[in-house]
Amino acid sequence: MVFNEKIVNPAELRHVEGKIELYWVYTSGEAGDVFFKKLRDEGKFTASKCRKCGHVFFPPRIYCEFDFSETEYVEVSGEGCILAFSVVMYDPDGNRLENPEIYALIGMEGTDGKMIHLLGEIDPENIEIGMKVKPVLRPQDQREGKITDILYFKPVS
Amino acid sequence: MGRSDAGWNGNSSLKQEVIVMAVGKKNISAPPYVEGHELELEDFENKTITYVEDYPDIRYQFTAGQAISRFLRGLKEGKILATKCSKCRRVMVPPRTFCELCFKPADEWVEVKDTGTVETFSISYIDPDAKPLDEPEIVAVISIDGASPKMGILHKLGEVEPDRVYIGMKVKAVWKPESEREGMITDIKYWKPLEVE
Repeated sequence: MVFNEKIVNPAELRHVEGKIELYWVYTSGEAGDVFFKKLRDEGKFTASKCRKCGHVFFPPRIYCEFDFSETEYVEVSGEGCILAFSVVMYDPDGNRLENPEIYALIGMEGTDGKMIHLLGEIDPENIEIGMKVKPVLRPQDQREGKITDILYFKPVS
Repeated sequence: MGRSDAGWNGNSSLKQEVIVMAVGKKNISAPPYVEGHELELEDFENKTITYVEDYPDIRYQFTAGQAISRFLRGLKEGKILATKCSKCRRVMVPPRTFCELCFKPADEWVEVKDTGTVETFSISYIDPDAKPLDEPEIVAVISIDGASPKMGILHKLGEVEPDRVYIGMKVKAVWKPESEREGMITDIKYWKPLEVE
């Protein structure tokens, strides 16, 4: 056989199927633990404030990254304003979504931090930069200390 | 929970100990470093800490390609197949479609013997999870008789004590029964010494 003759039927080619077993756990860490437990148990948001320069970190940090000072936990409202947003029309596999998802960068009120989360109860064409939004949480008995305990943010009206 | 309170809780008093750290040319006072928390399995089971977990579903399909596909089909029939380059006359095992020295297509299939010579070997006492094995496994690079020198495959040795293996040892393939063969390299169970002790 000369190798210019190619195998045209792919079924004649041998192939091996395999699966890579992987499992990972990512812990929230010291300050993340405080944040998620407060969110889960009381439905409240936590930030942390530098005792020296007063920078308010959200998500909370255990120390200030600017002057290495200690921080203290402060409660914040959880409301914020939209700094940027994006409308997602496709799922991770590239299939068109029936209901487009809206992701927004939200500047948290009373803090110097921001978070990315979903927007809900609003049509993409009605969103404006600077719009005030508030969080919608899962019912208390369904919360499990994860970022998905916040279902989405909706406009304050 | 076995945690040490490092004083990072907003209500607890500040720790007095302050370490002075040199950052650049400035001396910046730094708070005491947080001691790490040792996590126990119970922390995860009782959900005393918050965490996320996932089992990514990673699947793959590896296609053997033209030459190796035919080589593997040959193994199912109990044959070791090789390709030959008509220019440099090399017989290549495992077979390839191109001669990488002459950079021309290989142009002939030949069958080689199922005997060979141990080129190098290694004795493995642990399995892929680093657990000790009851019986050590011997893996060896075997150059196949009938192929060009130093042409061969990596496989296991059997029916031999680890301290009896040597470089240059003649070995012969031990095949699975024909009904159990599935066109994989494992259709050869192992290679056993050819000479009778």
